[in-house]
Amino acid sequence: MKILHTSARALLATASIAFTATAFGADTVKVGILHSLSGTMAISETSLRDVLLYTFDEINAKGGVAGKKIEPVVVDGASNWPLFAEKAKQLLEQDKCAVVFGCWTSVSRKSVLPVFEKNNGLLFYPVQYEGEEESKNVFYTAEAVNQQATPAVDYMLAKGKQKFYLLGSDYVYPQTTNLVLLEYLLSKGVPIENIGGGFKKDGSGKIISAGKYTPFGHTDYQQIVSEIKQFSAGGKACVINTLNGDTNVPFFKEYAAAGLTAESCPVVSFSISEDEFRALPAKQLVGQLGCWTYFQSIKSDANKKFVASFQDWLKTSKVDGVKKEGRVTCSPMVLSYDGVYLWKAAVEKAGSFEVDKVRAALQGGLSFEGPGGKVTSQKNMHMTKNVFIGETKADGQFKILKEYKDVVGEPWLKGTFKPKS
Amino acid sequence: MNSNNRRELTAICILAAVMLGVMPALNAWIPEGQWLHVSNFTINVWGKYLAYGILAISVDLLWGFTGLLSLGQALFFSLGGYMLGMHLMLMIGKLGQYKSELPDFMVFLGHTFLPSFWQPFRSLAFAALMVVLVPAVIGKLFGYLAFRSRIKGVYFSILTQALTYGASLMFFRNDMLMGGNNGFTDFKTILGADIRSPGTQRALYIVTGLTLIAIYLGCRWLTRTKFGLIQRAIRDSETRVLFSGYAAANYKLFVFVVSAVIAAIGGALYVPQVGIINPSEMTPDKSLEAVVWVAVGGRGTLAGPVLGAVVVNALKSWATRAIPDLWLILLGGLFLLIVLFLPGGLVSLPNKLRELRSRLGKKSPDTTPTAVPNASAS
Amino acid sequence: MRFLKTHRFLPLLTALSLFFSNAHAQAETPRQIIAKAVLLEDKSDDQVALLKTLDASTEVASLLTLWKEGGIFLFEKPDQSKVAIILESEKDAADKQKALLLETGLPILDGEGKPLHLLASDLTAAETDSTLRETMKAVLDLSGLSSPDRKARLQAVETLAMEQDFSRIPLLQKGLQKETDPSVQHAFREAIALAQLKEDSSETKISACRILGTMGSIRSRDILQSLSKDSDGPVQRAALEALQKIALHLQKVNTFGTLFRGLSLGSVLLVAALGLAVTFGLMGVINMAHGEMIAVGAYTTYVVQCVFGAGLQVSPFGIALNLPGIKATGWFYDCYFILAIPLSFLTAAFAGILLERTVIRFLYRRPLESLLATWGVSLVVQQLFRLTFGANNVQVSSPSWLSGSWTLSDVSFGWNRVFVITFAAAIVIGVFQLLGRTPLGLLIRAVMQNRSMAACMGVRTQRVNMFTFGLGSGLAGLAGAFLSQIGNVGPSLGQSYIVDAFMTVVVGGVGSLFGTILSAVGIGMTDQVLQQVLGNPVLGKILVLAAIILFLQWKPAGLFVTRSRSLES
Repeated sequence: MKILHTSARALLATASIAFTATAFGADTVKVGILHSLSGTMAISETSLRDVLLYTFDEINAKGGVAGKKIEPVVVDGASNWPLFAEKAKQLLEQDKCAVVFGCWTSVSRKSVLPVFEKNNGLLFYPVQYEGEEESKNVFYTAEAVNQQATPAVDYMLAKGKQKFYLLGSDYVYPQTTNLVLLEYLLSKGVPIENIGGGFKKDGSGKIISAGKYTPFGHTDYQQIVSEIKQFSAGGKACVINTLNGDTNVPFFKEYAAAGLTAESCPVVSFSISEDEFRALPAKQLVGQLGCWTYFQSIKSDANKKFVASFQDWLKTSKVDGVKKEGRVTCSPMVLSYDGVYLWKAAVEKAGSFEVDKVRAALQGGLSFEGPGGKVTSQKNMHMTKNVFIGETKADGQFKILKEYKDVVGEPWLKGTFKPKS
Repeated sequence: MNSNNRRELTAICILAAVMLGVMPALNAWIPEGQWLHVSNFTINVWGKYLAYGILAISVDLLWGFTGLLSLGQALFFSLGGYMLGMHLMLMIGKLGQYKSELPDFMVFLGHTFLPSFWQPFRSLAFAALMVVLVPAVIGKLFGYLAFRSRIKGVYFSILTQALTYGASLMFFRNDMLMGGNNGFTDFKTILGADIRSPGTQRALYIVTGLTLIAIYLGCRWLTRTKFGLIQRAIRDSETRVLFSGYAAANYKLFVFVVSAVIAAIGGALYVPQVGIINPSEMTPDKSLEAVVWVAVGGRGTLAGPVLGAVVVNALKSWATRAIPDLWLILLGGLFLLIVLFLPGGLVSLPNKLRELRSRLGKKSPDTTPTAVPNASAS
Repeated sequence: MRFLKTHRFLPLLTALSLFFSNAHAQAETPRQIIAKAVLLEDKSDDQVALLKTLDASTEVASLLTLWKEGGIFLFEKPDQSKVAIILESEKDAADKQKALLLETGLPILDGEGKPLHLLASDLTAAETDSTLRETMKAVLDLSGLSSPDRKARLQAVETLAMEQDFSRIPLLQKGLQKETDPSVQHAFREAIALAQLKEDSSETKISACRILGTMGSIRSRDILQSLSKDSDGPVQRAALEALQKIALHLQKVNTFGTLFRGLSLGSVLLVAALGLAVTFGLMGVINMAHGEMIAVGAYTTYVVQCVFGAGLQVSPFGIALNLPGIKATGWFYDCYFILAIPLSFLTAAFAGILLERTVIRFLYRRPLESLLATWGVSLVVQQLFRLTFGANNVQVSSPSWLSGSWTLSDVSFGWNRVFVITFAAAIVIGVFQLLGRTPLGLLIRAVMQNRSMAACMGVRTQRVNMFTFGLGSGLAGLAGAFLSQIGNVGPSLGQSYIVDAFMTVVVGGVGSLFGTILSAVGIGMTDQVLQQVLGNPVLGKILVLAAIILFLQWKPAGLFVTRSRSLES
């Protein structure tokens, strides 16, 4: 019976969508939201859908973009990469969206990239990524490796850490980040035997992979944690963690159960923001480190206002599937938010919604005073922003330990660090 | 039989003419904005549905006609896609991110030369041959082992599931040199033509449609020969077939290989149209999805599975845009209802309705038998 | 660490003086110093300097621990000046606690002279950062040397060991003499040997190397390695010998560790697959929603935890539901898990019975179609989870008696893992008892063996079907409660176990519970051994799958074949 009920709801929902579509007129502009609302990636991406809808409402309440109200077109990529490509086509070719905000995983971005290039669309991509890409049809509000991983390693080196264990999920972001970090650590004079997790070499003896990798959805970290325990027994060691959001839970539960703590061997993670942290046993993880370009605990007025009005919006939201309780804000959310405002600024500067003109305006360098501080668009379609190192607290928030101001996003890093001989 | 036959063939001809003649024509010659215009997007998604239709036929040939529920069809589908994908990757040439002759992901992993097993894929003919050969060899090998030891029923399903799962984990690994998690994407040309241009997509759509018809007719013929009879006999009672002196294992092996090749052809046509192939396409639940299309359309009918593939995927395309938060409930509910109340699938719907109407006409009391769990294990 | 080195002298002197004479006159009490440090807030360098002047005592230790855990608060007085306060543990009706001034330990009085009561959630806790906590740890460790708590002593010695400061050798030796606990004695000896490596005499170094080698000290591996590089002659030889011995010890540790881990992974598989062994193995229903039954159990645990804590608000389909919480703390809060275990069984069993009544009972004659229908159910249920609890994973924390581990000669046994193993054993025994020794079990076995014959004998097969399916689902719910302790709790929780669960049941032989047990432990062991040998979890998993495929070639119907007279099954 529940099923009948829900299908009736579904039909009603469709009808209402069809109705609102006609209710809007020519003074609206369609904007696409392309995230996974079901499947494995829904755990992370749903929050981005929510914050985007909030941002659109906020902008619409103040008169919209260049006098036009934003009309969101939400689609579900369902953690299915060919479906992402199809949905991107739908958004660009059928709905004629002026801009699309979306994607989380690198593979989803790679999957939609040809579609955006062919239709000359514009995608704003908000999640930390491996770099090695620069498309004129994607604006990367995301953290590049030098806006997250290398500052974090700098911090650990300054803290006197000498041994680094590299651990990640087996996909392109961790693999690339760890290769860059390997080069970086060697350039800082860390001997190769102090880098844990193992190496893989090609026929000529060149290292093509550094660190320990586990598949997506891996649930058993006993072996790896015991290896880390032995690796860190001599002290001055830390773990550089690029595990994908979901697998962090079994890893950290195992880590805590094995008696490892932030004092004995800190873990610095690049994929755990406040949002993912909600699923982790916070009390056992006090003092573990994170590195992002935004933390909810930033004490600025802009951030306080952002957090408060987002919470208000959640309470009154009527959108299905928006969870109202216990919500937090995190870096990918804020980078989505910043992206919308940068796009708005670019449209208003260009005086047009045309992608070429908007891009030119973005490349000219626009600034927005966001919750994480000032962000500025760059010529290479990346974003200059502040980088923060934080450590986790028992309440699931981060205490900010260090701030690096105005770090320029640099997508091409591999091979730029030379080992110290 | 004969008039039925002719009626069915006429229906196919009409459908083919509309789908493969009229639709592309409307796409090519009616300008955008007019109501008769068929958009590039429509052509493209329908191309995808038809490729899925080919996969559905391969599942039906195994499950509907031979009683083998394979959860490995997604593997063969993806293998076909990967084989053609290798060719398409090499055709990118220096147009990739790194402006290198090597595929981007190899540059990315620090490789300096093209591995030898990649070399021959520069030729489309070789790639096409591999699309058929690789799944056939793997299917033959696996099928030989499985059928020799008389693995059947659910054991066969779990075994094929393990195969698919293991293969997807293998393709996830970057060491495979098959693109790892990202797989192959960003294709630029096929046979020298821009792969993303509406013309090429239209051509691919027509080729997919024609292949589907050819495969449909081929399978239709096969299932109506004596071979098909034995096939169905195996499905209904394998032991009796064995006792009658037929080497059931050989028949099963043949069907398994044929359906692997059909799935692979579907995959090869799918990849240039969606523009990406990666290991998440070969996970067990993708196979399960294909089985569901067959069940929705109507198992053991050939036309049903194609219908099921198109209907389910069209519904998915529509619902992920229209009701992004509730579409899973809608789709899951639909599967449930069809399995419970329409065991013959959508193709049996007209008959069911006719039955219902005649019953209502006679005003006979409701005679639907209440289902009672049956003890017979077979 | 850095700080300790640069300013080593001062704290050391104070610490030493404390060690020998407990009566130590000071101008400021430790409470005052800590309160001062707390008020410095963000100036962590000054805080560190202040803490370094502290003498270790139980009072200091408890206050620092309190601070670390967020139990010290900053209270703004009406005149805007801040004071550091702590709260008494007792709560009044409005959850308020009596506020004590940290400096004096006396209650704060409000305008009318009555003690002030405050709500913890209204206050800002004094924060700490890693440098500060390291300093705290150093202070605590020194005080820990004389602590009555074995764990604290052990930790203190281990920290001192890493500092390799030979001036502390007398201190350590004294501690060793007084020590009675063997593992702490071991740690003392290790610490002394490590410090001796820093002495000038090569004889001492050599003998220290020997001691470390015989102990198989994993901790000293890095130090010995650098020693073997920097030295030559006999010292180098001794260091290399010691390293060899440690490597041997490590091998032993890894072997036993792997066995334990294999057993624990096997238990996880078993717990996840046992319910399936009933519904699929005994009843022949291919329940793809089994994973969602596990998730039902896990979410039940989550809900129970919330009720013991701050309550739970959810709003599926826009309907706001509010579950009040009882705000338990301490050991009582930890008891949530004990209540969650039976409840997760019951909710999942109920969900299972519901599923059986509405869907499965129509499909007993069509097992492969039960696969499709339940797959549809699983999609729907997953989305319902998302709409109710949110798409994110939810947090289920382990009760304190399940966190931590027990280490025996460097092999560590996590409590949660020990618990999973014990529990798997308990469930298995329970299920065997139920099936083999109770009237219900007799009926279940009868109906599963021959449904129509049982019906002829007057067994109400419908009802037995319902209960059997409920039992299988309930077992899945139990699995959910346990998996919540070691992994994710989220909408797709079930998906990560369903493939493995089916594999386990099939390898064991459909219909044989005993087979499921053997296959779970076998797969778990193989997986862990391969992971250890190959050092690569992905490759290990692929090989396990290959092994399963080959195994089924050899035994096409699994480990234990249920014999049947019927020709075709």
